[in-house]
Amino acid sequence: MNRHIFEIQKVALRSFSSSVRRQLDNKVPQKQKLFQVKNDGIPIHLKGGTADALLYRTTMALTILGTGYVVYELVKAAFPKK
Amino acid sequence: MAHQAHAYHMVDPSPWPLTGAIAALLMTSGLAVWFHFHSTTLMILGTILLLLTMFQWWRDVVREGTFQGHHTPPVQKGLRYGMILFITSEVFFFLGFFWAFYHSSLAPTPELGGCWPPTGITTLDPFEVPLLNTAVLLASGVTVTWAHHSIMEGERKQAIQSLTLTIALGFYFTFLQAMEYYEAPFTIADGVYGSTFFVATGFHGLHVIIGSMFLAVCLLRQIHFHFTSEHHFGFEAAAWYWHFVDVVWLFLYISIYWWGS
Repeated sequence: MNRHIFEIQKVALRSFSSSVRRQLDNKVPQKQKLFQVKNDGIPIHLKGGTADALLYRTTMALTILGTGYVVYELVKAAFPKK
Repeated sequence: MAHQAHAYHMVDPSPWPLTGAIAALLMTSGLAVWFHFHSTTLMILGTILLLLTMFQWWRDVVREGTFQGHHTPPVQKGLRYGMILFITSEVFFFLGFFWAFYHSSLAPTPELGGCWPPTGITTLDPFEVPLLNTAVLLASGVTVTWAHHSIMEGERKQAIQSLTLTIALGFYFTFLQAMEYYEAPFTIADGVYGSTFFVATGFHGLHVIIGSMFLAVCLLRQIHFHFTSEHHFGFEAAAWYWHFVDVVWLFLYISIYWWGS
């Protein structure tokens, strides 16, 4: 009898919550599994996958280009053209 | 398989200190290039690099703590010390600007008319928008404490609501202050009054924006179940920072807005 009431409550809750807003599930355990893969030698900043690598390469490219550009500008500023 | 025989965190090699340092180089040199050669490219590139560094570095800290479990009690203690020391350094930063304000306002020079506020300056009424701003920030201090207690008591929905309210109040402050800046009858170029007013309140406003962003990240993390009732240091650090921002405003309000008017 109690289980029957419990099932009804569950159904009522399910239909109510889906009409109000989308439920966010706790994905932390999955993330913990992904990032706790041991002995793969992958550092934390790349362990998330391809998106990590892309973002890293973009950042590093900008860093290197930026360094070159700043050296160029500083040399240019140090030898002013009359 | 090697296991560490201590509770501390030996971090993986990371490129973000380097990219952050280069970002600082590009931003500062870019500032000089902008001043002398009217080009903003270098400065903008530096800012983009800074944003990329901050996003990835702090993303990695979340991964190390929440997903890998490296934030043991001794590690958390170190993080607490770190945040306290950082906020202390910010206190000294603001102390400088208060020193400048009091230096100029306690002994006003003949050029100012020998009085404070200086001759010709129409100050803002401290009992109008500035007082509202004080109420807004004080209220946000209450809501952030409410959020903390909600997290500690495992009240997920209340934590989300009170944290959202805190951020909304922060944005409201910024909006009101922006309106005040626009409508002010004096500018930063109006002698030492203008300089001390806009530099002190301007840096404060920047810190309100930074604090709001920190709290917003905490809100996202709370929504994604990162915080537990026992372990939520990221939120505590944001709350400390927010209280610091509130206290700086109180000093600004009393000194510059009220006493200085």
